[in-house]
Amino acid sequence: MKLLALELPALVTVVRVLGVILGLLGVVLCLRLLRLKQADLTSARVVKLGFVALPAVAFYKLLAFLGLFAVPVAAVGVANYHVFEGTREVNSCNQCHVMTPLVTDMRDPHSNTLAARHFRNHWIPEQQCYHCHTDYGLNGTLEAKMDGYRHLARYTTGTYKEPIVQRNVYSNSNCLKCHDGTPRYLTVSSHRTLAERLQGNEVSCLNCHGWAHPTRAQRTPGSPDYNRLMGKEKR
Amino acid sequence: MNLTAPAWLAILAFAITTAFVLHPTPYLMLAFAFFAQPLFLIVAILYFRRVFRELREKEVM
Repeated sequence: MKLLALELPALVTVVRVLGVILGLLGVVLCLRLLRLKQADLTSARVVKLGFVALPAVAFYKLLAFLGLFAVPVAAVGVANYHVFEGTREVNSCNQCHVMTPLVTDMRDPHSNTLAARHFRNHWIPEQQCYHCHTDYGLNGTLEAKMDGYRHLARYTTGTYKEPIVQRNVYSNSNCLKCHDGTPRYLTVSSHRTLAERLQGNEVSCLNCHGWAHPTRAQRTPGSPDYNRLMGKEKR
Repeated sequence: MNLTAPAWLAILAFAITTAFVLHPTPYLMLAFAFFAQPLFLIVAILYFRRVFRELREKEVM
């Protein structure tokens, strides 16, 4: 992120640092809360906080409010922002090993899948997974977010089978949001004749443009391509 | 106002949240989403229950 001549850190880094600061602050506040004794509260002891002097009871209540409510709210907010921002990155998708074949193929300079061609030609310069899959997963609608949590639960509990299969029909709107209406798109006569059917998902873009990712057969463990797609051997 | 239990629960939730923010793996994301967040909610409920109880004892409410 560049602002004037200054080089600012990426937002994800800022959020990460803020999250760690809030987490550590919360732990320190709670530990301080645990160290307070009943005797401290009954005495007329005064606690000095910089320029301010507080009675011990008021200090304890302030500590409790910050440590048990205010800082947790901020920490949860920052961590959730991290969830939704972080999951847009390709490396975040690649954290789950079932996604590795898709990411390896996308980055493969010799692959001819749609994802690989988009990646190789820099048609989508960053957050490639997210740009083509915005309508579901943790970054989509509320229903899609719930589905994203289902994916997370299925993955972490191991209740899934390889190769993974998309439940819903892939929506053409993910392609059309960039391509529709562009001069190059409109020069293709079938795009014009099939316009309504493409908009209504009656015909898939993939029917003519080929596989977006490696096939299920290629992604099945034990297949000849599996080890390469898992990054264990080179082409 | 004894807040020992909520403080320990909050420390646990903060530890999970910090670990997740530092190293966002699927397992830590699961721990944050389904364990740390509900823990924070429980902490907030316990805290406000104490606050309201104290206010009632002092006949403010």
